[in-house]
Order: sequence, then structure tokens, then C-alpha cells
Amino acid sequence: MSNNPTANDTVLLRMEGITKSFPGVKALDGVSLTVRAGTVHALMGENGAGKSTLMKCLFGVYNKDGGHIYLEGKEINFKNSKDALENGVAMVHQELNQALKRNVMDNIWLGRYPMNGPFVSEAKMYQDTVAVFDDLGIHVEPTTIMSTMPVSQRQMVEIAKAVSYNSKIIVFDEPTSSLTEEEVEHLFRIINMLRDRGCGIIYISHKMDEILRISDDITVMRDGTWVATEPVANMTMDKIIKLMVGRELTNRFPPKENVVSKEVSLSVRGLTGMYSALRDVSFDAHKGEILGLAGLDGSGRTETLETIFGAATKKSGTVTLNGRDTPNRTTKEAVANGYALLTEERRATGIFGILSILENTVISSLKNYLQGGFLNQRKMEESTDWSISAMRIKTPSQSTQIRSLSGGNQQKVILGRWLLTNPEVLLLDEPTRGIDVGAKYEIYQLIIDLAKQGKTVLMVSSEMPELLGVCDRILVMSGGRLAGEVSAKTATQEEIMTLAAKYV
Amino acid sequence: MNVKKVLALLLSLCMALSLAACGGGGGDAASGGDDSGSKPAGEVSIFYYTFNDTYLSSVRSAMDSALAAAGVNFNNYDGNNIQTTQTDSIDTAIAKGASILAVNLVDTGSNDAAQNIVDKAKAQNIPVVFFNRSVEESVVSSYDNCAFVGTDYTQAGKMQGDMIGQYLVENYDAVDLNGDGVISYVMFKGDEANQEAIYRTQYGQENADAVLTAAGKPALKFYDETNTNRYLVDQNGAWSAQAATDYMQTILSQYSEANNNMVELVIANNDEMALGAIAALQNAGYNSAGKTVIPVFGVDATDAARAAIDNGSMIGTIKQDAEGMANAIVTIITNFQNGNDKFDGIDPGYLEGTWRVNIPYSVYTGE
Amino acid sequence: MAEQTTTPNSTIKKGPFRKIRAEIDHFNTLTGKDRQRYITDMLFNNAMYIIIVLAIIFIAIRVPSFVSLSSIVNIISLTASRLPIALGVAGCIVLAGTDISAGRAVGLAACIAGSLLTTANKIFPGMGVQPLPLVILIVIAVGALIGFVNGFCMAKFKLHPYIVTLSTQLILYGTILLYLKMGENNGQTLSSLSEGYRNLVAGTLFTIGTVAVPRYVLYAIILAAIMWVIWNKTTLGKNMFAVGSNEEAANVSGVNVMRTIILVFVMAGIMYSITGFFEGARIASINGNTGFNYEADAIAACVIGGVSFVGGIGKISGIITGVLLLQIIFTGLNFLSVDQNILYIIKGLVILVACAIDMRKYLVRK
Repeated sequence: MSNNPTANDTVLLRMEGITKSFPGVKALDGVSLTVRAGTVHALMGENGAGKSTLMKCLFGVYNKDGGHIYLEGKEINFKNSKDALENGVAMVHQELNQALKRNVMDNIWLGRYPMNGPFVSEAKMYQDTVAVFDDLGIHVEPTTIMSTMPVSQRQMVEIAKAVSYNSKIIVFDEPTSSLTEEEVEHLFRIINMLRDRGCGIIYISHKMDEILRISDDITVMRDGTWVATEPVANMTMDKIIKLMVGRELTNRFPPKENVVSKEVSLSVRGLTGMYSALRDVSFDAHKGEILGLAGLDGSGRTETLETIFGAATKKSGTVTLNGRDTPNRTTKEAVANGYALLTEERRATGIFGILSILENTVISSLKNYLQGGFLNQRKMEESTDWSISAMRIKTPSQSTQIRSLSGGNQQKVILGRWLLTNPEVLLLDEPTRGIDVGAKYEIYQLIIDLAKQGKTVLMVSSEMPELLGVCDRILVMSGGRLAGEVSAKTATQEEIMTLAAKYV
Repeated sequence: MNVKKVLALLLSLCMALSLAACGGGGGDAASGGDDSGSKPAGEVSIFYYTFNDTYLSSVRSAMDSALAAAGVNFNNYDGNNIQTTQTDSIDTAIAKGASILAVNLVDTGSNDAAQNIVDKAKAQNIPVVFFNRSVEESVVSSYDNCAFVGTDYTQAGKMQGDMIGQYLVENYDAVDLNGDGVISYVMFKGDEANQEAIYRTQYGQENADAVLTAAGKPALKFYDETNTNRYLVDQNGAWSAQAATDYMQTILSQYSEANNNMVELVIANNDEMALGAIAALQNAGYNSAGKTVIPVFGVDATDAARAAIDNGSMIGTIKQDAEGMANAIVTIITNFQNGNDKFDGIDPGYLEGTWRVNIPYSVYTGE
Repeated sequence: MAEQTTTPNSTIKKGPFRKIRAEIDHFNTLTGKDRQRYITDMLFNNAMYIIIVLAIIFIAIRVPSFVSLSSIVNIISLTASRLPIALGVAGCIVLAGTDISAGRAVGLAACIAGSLLTTANKIFPGMGVQPLPLVILIVIAVGALIGFVNGFCMAKFKLHPYIVTLSTQLILYGTILLYLKMGENNGQTLSSLSEGYRNLVAGTLFTIGTVAVPRYVLYAIILAAIMWVIWNKTTLGKNMFAVGSNEEAANVSGVNVMRTIILVFVMAGIMYSITGFFEGARIASINGNTGFNYEADAIAACVIGGVSFVGGIGKISGIITGVLLLQIIFTGLNFLSVDQNILYIIKGLVILVACAIDMRKYLVRK
């Protein structure tokens, strides 16, 4: 990667000594970033390191307190995103900002519709969309309504939109968090193509292997300060992690101390979805076992968890727990039967953003605190205290709004919430998505601890190293069916990929 | 930045306050000249069930000038057709030290609202004059310093019915368009739950029938025989022209001279609804100069209705004497203030028992 | 059962019914439960039309004259008289907002039109009938101003539309009452409207047999067409849907969100004032009650017609269907001589059921 032929010394973007303070916090302290034409520049750092703030200063969302930004040698100071877009600086957001009820082309040309006199020209819009898609090798019908498409396709549309502005600088913020391996390959082809055209790419991600593969330069930030900028050739995964967390992180996974019992707890037979593609899924899970669910996006992993939990309608099949039939027709019934589900989209379906840690913690177990028809505040506080210490949640107080915590701590609050319902089976859907390297380790540790206590954990993840590192066995799904089972100790990523493609 | 915001806020507050001051100015213009001495000259608080009633606007104008002329310090309150609002502002007025309450009650469906007001006033020994919208004798009699100025609310309907009956007897064949010997009519009711509306609806038709039968004619027939209520009501209870227009328009799509079942008479609880019906009739080619006129009758004698009667598109209405009512109320108010007998100076012919003054209605069929 | 619906030439997808035939073919490929689901989905997706047809059939059987020419023209003209306000308020709902000041804006516009186009002017004593084009311009300007104030407060101060329009509703009501007290009018009803005004709006467009179709039907059609073009073919329309669907996305894409919100409300204000102008002439008797509660039916019609309160969803055709459905039900109940007290209950149930069925379309089933 380091001998990138298109890389040259023409500096496209230079940010110098950027400083930004919020009341009580110095979010950025003299951070610099230099992006050369025809390169991919990775921006790394733990959550809260200041990556987003830096980008927001670039796009004019925040007014920087100090420092200078030069685009192709000219000092710039964008007023807003529109200003930035018009000057060739675009961003693919991590949280897709799209008008979901509108179609693909409406979203791409939003704010700059091609006009035909006083009217919007749908025909030109369609042609231009097709042209951009063809260029990028994206196969999406421009008149599809956004909400009907999977997240990965919506992300492709977002990328196409950034490209369609003829941008010189494109910022990708965690672009692969919702993509499958195959889609990631496609994205990388697109990024390489843009780089070959002389664009400067700023790539923000937590995934080391991706960074090492795609980037030319790496800038690492920590606590709002610049730490290092190096060509990727000089970097290794350990070195990056060390720079990011400021200490050595020798093991990515905690030691597996859980003991898988012979006793089967969860037994699923012939599970078939009413409205989903899920067909005839059968498996057993043991007490104290961490069972992984691997597969491509849309292979039915999430649907398996949701159908077991009663969040998705079951057409046929049985779910038994310790020999007892648990049909789980509703999620309420599932909770009563000892199941807990940690959902995939934490922000959308997991947390109550403006509510406090306490409220977020006790919401699923309110009946435990009832005393004569009223909730006992003291008991709730005790439970929350237990959760904060048991889950090792870093928070100023119980009354802090959960949205102000980092992703990892939010996830721990939700785990604590479920543990208070005293579940036997934990269904975890992408439990470490969008979480820092350091915090991931703590989540893994919690999962293993739970298994140690004899709970059964079902864990869906798109990151194969994670499944291999944490699970005991891995079920691989494909096209709504179970494609096979591998042991996490012996399996390889290739083996899992082959199985995942079985029914595609 | 912040200073500017605060300034803007203060400025708008000042504006709002000065507006309020302007609005309240009507009453306190002349507060001097009180020679009563028996009571401190607290404000006379007048509560209208709504400011948005054509007839009561006339009463209000007449009262405003009569009270101002009598040098009384007074204030008007809008109940906005909500009893709670009215009761709340009465509480406030009492707290403010009102000397007399004049109440045009919102809720006439039961005694509770009125009794509640009387009890509050009695506790503070403040006289109460109810007016226009009916209050029962038991309520008024429960407190010595209480009186009611209204109209005999059955009277408007009765007079309207008599007027209709007489008109029909005199013009029977002209009105009976299809010549079947029976007059088909429609009745527009202003509000399902209002006493006034209920009696007008009842007597408007019954008295007309009585006159017709006495003259040897058959009784009126509701245009839609399947409708057992024999009236159409404004769903919003607003006695509105729009409700009547829409009903009439729909009726005319089904009942016409061509079908030989044309509606031959329109009776409305008030002039608004009468005028609304006339608009629909006019749109269908009736009730204009040179066209067939379907007789339309209302109540209130508003300016607009009188104009319509004068130009021939409407036949008659019942006049409520707004000035007469205003004068009677002001007389009672000054009696209370001066410690005289409450009905001093009221025409004894208008008195009913020791609790009530009835302002008579009169028929208006043009000048 | 399936065989009966399949015709030998069903494989040829040509001619006017090719869509329907393709659907039938698709249906034939389904089995058992899927087939059942297909049928229920189809029924629910077209529920609004099915309800209309059933309502018409039911009422027509009981009272045949319901489907007579004059009755149909009556329903159409009543629908037309309520359409403009619905077209206006629909834009506000697409923005994920609402507008409860609509009825009072109608009232104020009607009062202004009435006061300038009367032969017996008491608000401005001595002033004669003003030229129609001038009055139309004044009324539209007032509507635009009301809309601007609504939109500006919403966009600038980020206030909830309900709060803003609740306030303007009160302000407008007070303005109407004050306006009617001006001059020698003394709060009285405005009448004696000029012939020219009444003719322009309520005059006969053409007659079918003996049934006259009023002019405002044509105007309503024109307004619907204009709104359709604005919604579907202009930047403003597209931006309106984008802002309603995801304000933040529109913002980062460089859409001027504030301008869009203001313009949509200005458009709505103009629609209300036009409604007021029409209603003034149609009812020919204007007072403080004119326009009262109009927004309730208009909002109900929009929601029945699939304009979602979630924002970003709505079609002009849906609004027309919604207004029409409400009108058919109201007029129909009148024809059926339903007890007046029951009417309220039926009205409430219709709105509830229609919206529940419509919402079902957007639910993602799992």
C-alpha cells in the first residue's frame, strides 16, 4: 500500500493547530491534519478522542476557536455543510442522514435538483443517478424508496451522493460498521477508484485490519490532541493501539474462563418466520455456553434472535428452555420466560437517550420495585448501583442522561438492565458495534463472566475475529437457513465464509 | 446576544401589556361620581357567554354606553363559550373586589353552574344579575340580591310560530308550490343542548300548526318524513350560517320543484342560520329578485336579516330588544349600587314574580 | 377457484389490463397462507376506496336518490368547497406539523372579503364595492402573512407547530372580533355582498340537465392541479417532503430548511384565505363564527387520505379522496336521516377506523 502510484506531494487539505473548547472541556487542542491528493488518510482514536469534533470544525458545524484550514493552499472557513459540499468537501456520515420516505434519486440530488425551467426534471435526475451508479458499480434502482432498502445499500447511496458532488475531499465516518465482508470489498474498490482519480480520502474507523489495508497515512488522536501521523508502512496493529489508548494492550480478548455444561438449556426446533426469510432453523445451546451466529447481512441472524424473543412473528417451530416449552408469542412473555435481547441498533432501539442511567437501568424490571402500587425509589437506586459496579459503568452519577455516555458504557447499561430481569438466555445482537477497542474488551469480559455464571449467550456479530475469540461454537447462517456449525477453537475465517455463501 | 434577547422579550411584554391596558380601558373611564357610599365602588364585572354572538354584541354595545353614561366603573369578560373559563374569570373578579356581577351564563343545560356562581357571590355578599341565557327560578330565588333579566325563552319560538302561521294562511297557495295542500318545511336548530334552541324548535312549528289548524289547513310536514327529530342541528353548536348553507345545499340536491317535493318553508332558530339557508337557496336560483321566494324565518332581527327582509329574500324574524335588555340590566345595577329595591324603575308589566324581568319580543317583517 | 380467474391468454401482458393480469398471475403463484395474506393486504391497501364504494352502495340502497345527478353534483361541490383548506393544511402535516389556525384564517379572509365587497359597507362606512382583483390580492396577501408568521415562528424559534398555530388561532380570532367591531358594524354579520362577488364564486359554471354546477368546483380543481405541480414538480415540493422526512438530512444536503418551512406555511395561508374568499360568497353571511372548526375536518380528511403525521408522506390524490370520503359520509348520514346525536359518534368512528386502516400500510411487520 505504501507504494501507491497516485500518491503525490500535492497537499489537498491542511488543518493546522485547530483548537475548540466547550464549556468545561477542551475538545481539540492544536490538532493538525494534512491530506495529500490521491491518498487515503486514516484518522484514528478512541471515542471521545476528538475525531468527530475535528471533522465538524472542517464542515462548519462548529466554529473553531483557533487554527487555520487550507484547501489547495487557500484558507477556507466553511459556514455549513452546504458551503463545504459546494467547495468539494463531502462526508459520508456514520449515522445515515437520509430522507427515508423519499426515493434514492430524491436523496442524492436533495438541495440541488436539476431544473427544467421552474420544474424539477425527474428525467435528468434519473439519468444522472444512473450515470453515478454505473461509474461506481452500484446496482440500485433510482426510484426505490429508501426505507425499503437494507442499511448497506443506503450507505452505498450515501457514498454515491458524496461522489456526485465531484468532491476533492471525501470523509468516510465508520463506513463499514453495517456492511458485510463482500460489501466492504466493494466499498474498498470504490475508495481505491476515487483515490486513483486524485481525491483525498479521510477514513475514520475502529477496524484495524481495514485501516492497515486501505490507508496510505495514519493520524492518531487521543484526548483531543494530535498524537502521531505516520505512513501506514511504519505502523502495526499493536503500535496503533498503543498510540490510541496510550498504553500496551496485549490481548484483544480476555481469557475464556467459562465452562460449557453438558446440560442443554435452550433448544430450538424448526424455527420458521412468518414474514421473514427464516426457514427451519434448529439448534441446541448449553448452560454456560457462548454460541456465535455468523453470516452475511440479511442471512437471518437478527431474525433468529427476534423470532426466539417474540419480537418477530413465528410461523412454525418450537423454542424450549430447560425442557419447558417457551413459545414467546410476545416480548413480554419472553422476558417472563427468562430471555433478554440486546438489539442491534443501540441508539434507535436500545437506549432512551434523554432519560437517566437509573431510568434506563430499571425499565425492564419495574415490577420488582413495586411497593403498594408505587415504585420504591431506594430499591431502584440500589439496583442501579449494583449495575454500575457490576458492569463497571463509567458515569458521573445515576441521574446522568444516558446519551452523554460513550457507546461502550451505554451498552453496559443495557446489559445491566437485562441482567436485572434475571434472564437465563441472553440474545446479543452486534454487542460491540461502534464501540472503542478498549471498551470492547470490557464487553467481552462481561459476556464471558455471564457464561461463567451458567447463563446461555447467543451472540450475533459481523466481526469474525470477535466470534472466534469469544465464542465456544459458531453457527453459520445463509439465506435464512442454518448452513453449518463450527468450533470456535479450530475454525478459520475462510471456513466460515464458505459456509455463509452456501445458500446465497 | 443575550442582552438583546432579554430586551426583545421585555419589549414584547410591554407591548402585550399596553394592548391589555387599551382593551380594558372601556370600563374604568368614569369611575368617579359615586354618591352611593353604602358600598365601596368596586368594579361592575360583566360576563358574556361569548363576544362572538351577533345579538349579544348589540346588547354589549348598548350596555357599554348606558353604563358609561351612568358613570359606572365596569369591565367586560369573554366566556368564550366555555363555562370553566367564565367561572374562572368570575373567581378572579370576586378576588379583585367586584361590586356587582352581571352574568350571561354559558351552561344553561343544568342549574349547577348558575347555583355555583350564586353561592360564590352570596358568600361575599355581592349582587348578581343574570341576563339573556336562562337561569331557573330556584337558583335566582336562593339569594335576595339576585335577579334575572331575559326574555321568556318560549316566547320567541311562539311568536315565530304565530308569525309563520299567519303568513302561511295569507299566502297558502303561493307557498304550496306543488299544490298538494300540505306545506313541507325544514327546521334548523342552533345547538342540540341549548334551552333556547330547544324551545324555539318546538314552538316555531307547534304554534304555526295551531294557527294553520284554526284556519282549517293541514299541519306542516317535515320535508324528510324518515327524520323523526324533525330538525337539523349545527353539529358545532355554533348556530352558524355555514351549517345551514351546507344542509340546505344537500337538501336541494334531493328535493326540488322538478321532483315535486321542494321544501316550501324554512324555519331557523336564529337569523344566521336563516341567512345561511337563503345563500343556498339563492345559489339554486331562489329568493332573489324576480325568482320564486321560499319563505324563510329567523329570530334576532340582526341588521343583516333586516336587510334581507327589506330586499325580499327573507320573510320575517323576531326582534329581541337589545337596548331594552341593556337598559333593564343597568337599571338593576344602579339600584343595587344605591341600595334601592332591585326592580325600581322597571316597567311592572315586564316583571315575573320577584325574580325576573322579561324583555318582550316583537315581530319584524319589514319596515 | 384459482382456475376460474386464469384466462387462457393471461400470459400475454398487453392491453389496458396488463397490470391487473400481472397481479392475477402473481396471485396464482402463491399458495395457502400467502394467498390469504395477499388478499388481506390488497383489501387493506385499497381500504379507502373500498369504504367509499361500500358507503355509496349502502346509502344508495336505502335512499336511491343519493346517487341521483343532483346529489352527486352536491357532494362534489361540497367537497370542492372544503378542498382548498385541506390542500393547505396537508403541506403542514407533510412537514410533520399541523395547523390549527386554519379555520380562523378562513374566517378572517372571509370577513375582509365581505367587508370590501358589500353594497352596504358598515365597517368602512361610505366605501363602495371594491374591484374584485384588488380584493383577491388583499385576501391572498393576508393569508400569506398569516402563513409567514406561522412558518417563521416555527422555523426560527423551533417551536412546535401546535403551539405556534394555537397562538395564531387565538390572535386571529381576536382580530376577527375587533375587525367586525370596526366602523358602524358593531359586531354584526356581514351581508349584502355584491352580485359580482357571489357570482364569481357561487355562480353557475355550467348545467347538466337542470343541475347547476357552481364555479368554485372549477377553482378547486385548478387549485388541486397547482398544488399537485408544486408538490411533485418543483424544488419547493421536493424539499418539503425531504424536510418532513428528515430535517437534518435536508439540512446537511444544503436545503434551506427555514425557507422551505416558511414557504409551505405561506402556501397553506394562501389556501386558507382562498377558502375564506369562497366561503364568504357561498354562505353570503359572514361573522365571527365563519371558519370555526374548519381545520378539524380538513386535518381529519388529510389523515384519512394518507397524509401521515409522521411527516414526509402524502399525495394530492389522497387528500381529495379523504375530503370526498368525509363528505360522502356526512351527506350520506344526512340522507339516511340518522339521529343527530349519533352523528358525532359515527363521525369519530369513521376518522378513527379510516386512519387505523391507513396506518397499517406503513407498519413493518416482523
